[in-house]
Amino acid sequence: MTITLSGITKTFGDFTAVHPLDLTVPEGSFFALLGASGCGKTTTLRMIAGLEEPTSGTILLGDDDITHLPPHKRPVNTVFQNYALFPHLDVSENIAFGLRRRGVKSVSKQVAEMLDLVQLGDMARRKPRQLSGGQQQRVALARALINRPQVLLLDEPLGALDLKLRRQMQLELKRIQTEVGITFVHVTHDQEEAMTMADSVAVMYGGRVEQLGPPAELYENPRSTFVANFLGTSNLIEAQVVSGATAESDELRLRTVGDDTALRLPAARCAVEGVEEGAKVLVGVRPEKISLTHTDGPDTASESVAEGAPAPAGVPAGVPEGHNRLTGRITDASYLGVSWQYLIETPACSELTVYEQNVARDSRLTPGAHVVLHWRPEHTFALDAAQDAAAGEEAI
Amino acid sequence: MTAVAPPSPSGPASAGAAPPAGKDPDGAVAEAGAGRARRGLTPYWLLLPAGLWLAVFFVAPLFYQASTSVQSGSLEEGFRVTWQFSNYTDALGTYGEHFVRSFCYAAVATALCLFIGYPLAYMIALRAGRWRNLVLVMVIAPFFTSFLIRTLAWKTILSDGGPVVGALSSLHILDVTHWLGLTADDRVLATPLAVVCGLTYNFLPFMILPLYSSLERIDTSLLEAARDLYAKPSTTFRKVTFPLSLPGVVAGTLLTFIPASGDYINAQLLGSPSEQMVGNAIQKQFLNVLDYPTAAAMSFILMALILLMVSVYMRKAGTEELV
Repeated sequence: MTITLSGITKTFGDFTAVHPLDLTVPEGSFFALLGASGCGKTTTLRMIAGLEEPTSGTILLGDDDITHLPPHKRPVNTVFQNYALFPHLDVSENIAFGLRRRGVKSVSKQVAEMLDLVQLGDMARRKPRQLSGGQQQRVALARALINRPQVLLLDEPLGALDLKLRRQMQLELKRIQTEVGITFVHVTHDQEEAMTMADSVAVMYGGRVEQLGPPAELYENPRSTFVANFLGTSNLIEAQVVSGATAESDELRLRTVGDDTALRLPAARCAVEGVEEGAKVLVGVRPEKISLTHTDGPDTASESVAEGAPAPAGVPAGVPEGHNRLTGRITDASYLGVSWQYLIETPACSELTVYEQNVARDSRLTPGAHVVLHWRPEHTFALDAAQDAAAGEEAI
Repeated sequence: MTAVAPPSPSGPASAGAAPPAGKDPDGAVAEAGAGRARRGLTPYWLLLPAGLWLAVFFVAPLFYQASTSVQSGSLEEGFRVTWQFSNYTDALGTYGEHFVRSFCYAAVATALCLFIGYPLAYMIALRAGRWRNLVLVMVIAPFFTSFLIRTLAWKTILSDGGPVVGALSSLHILDVTHWLGLTADDRVLATPLAVVCGLTYNFLPFMILPLYSSLERIDTSLLEAARDLYAKPSTTFRKVTFPLSLPGVVAGTLLTFIPASGDYINAQLLGSPSEQMVGNAIQKQFLNVLDYPTAAAMSFILMALILLMVSVYMRKAGTEELV
């Protein structure tokens, strides 16, 4: 069922955990609240569960106002961060807890079904402390799901698991969600987890929703530096607008502040409304979108930077025409297995990160080598330069 | 069982009863063989003071007492071991009523302690917030005054014509307690009620502290989980909070019931001869009648009965299943 939060706030003393928040979680979706610790995501979840009373605002479940309903009267269940399994009850009694409280007499069939769903059939008589972390996690999930809640809330459910198990559980959670078709609201600080599992992600920062959308949109076209840095890595370059979109072209033309290199990007990918000539922006590009081409020195490459269409003569061999280009020098190269990570010093920006697929690598790309960095204009995005360019970086 | 260490006579002994586990840190590999041997012996050295203490002040007196309990004779002629087991049957025959009374008073006092102590421990552990430490200190504060003085104070509180008697009388509660056989002749002092009140008061902290410690350890997210899973507040208490506090309930009831059954101060100061407990009888046999064998036999009977009741109770409570 659809959850609608309107104007929800929560303050603890003089600390505001959640600023006025409007959020709609569509029915049947897998919705992630993503953010660093202290961003208000768990508080938001707890307000939906009824464990925290909102300071103001309303929460609708479908058309029903549940803002002031106590938790035991809400058709909503939670998978807690530390699972919160009852240590004095065995696995099947833990799972049956909700049904029994609602007066269901014969629970054994449903419990058995749930144990099958989470693949714990032979653990029914164990006590929680006799289970591994992953098994406990699945019991917690079964204990919530057996009640067929309208909405299932998951509070960092995979936080305590190791990486491999977490990956496995991510797929499993996604499978179960597709199978039961219940609305899932998932709180996490792990951007990868949010992107793998959720249909839509709300990135929260300082008690506010920074950006909301499908994972690919958030990643490809972040609208703030926090989103750009918190989801993956971004290279942010200071630049100045040369000309805005015109009738014949919807491209923005820019110049880097550092070395006056021309850059272009589609106007739709600029997060700043109605940019004017001379306005400062932060130009962003994801490290894996950038290609590197080796050059012999800085002189041969920089000539190419001419007004408007670059002169073909100055384009080093192997750099496609129409790409955005920067020149630089490799300062560091590290092998990551699937890719190489390069740190590149450019006049436009002190340090750029580039990931190159580990296929047919140019062996001349070693620290000290001069390179041309180039990428498609449509992989470029532009953000308001008034923000902190490093927001969200240290949060990971 | 919950590990609250109340001030008790066995304090020094129990402190040594849990030696550090004989773990073998990796660093020991590099150590010389002598060092390793010394380290291996360390736990035993640490056990030694407690072991000696127990041997001298517990095991030896126990054996001495056991031998006394089967002796016969008199103070003038001297006592000799004659395997006189009739000491036990005689003691039970003569003082059976005292045993029954002791266990009844102790049981009622324990139940009262539980009813008074549980809500208080619950409030301290889960609701007191920043007042928690202050309230805990107030619970322990009576220990700063001697047991005897506190019991004597109760004698004043419950005295004839005192405020308690007046209030109970005007509220007609005395009529009820009189009808129940707890009080007589419009007085509270020198009645079963007074003795039970004294026992309850004196042993209440021993109930509250273990209860507090087990309630305080309950993960509050479990209570949230219960509420989230459709349990009303009362059901949450019944199905989650109370079962999880059972180790504290068991520890508290034992720490209250055992010393209360052997207590003689309260019956001595607040009761009359008809409220004498088995502790009073033993004291009289040892110190007034000087019939050591009977006194020793009664001590053993008391110990055996308590052990029996405690082991049945522990089995019923089944606390080993709990965390």
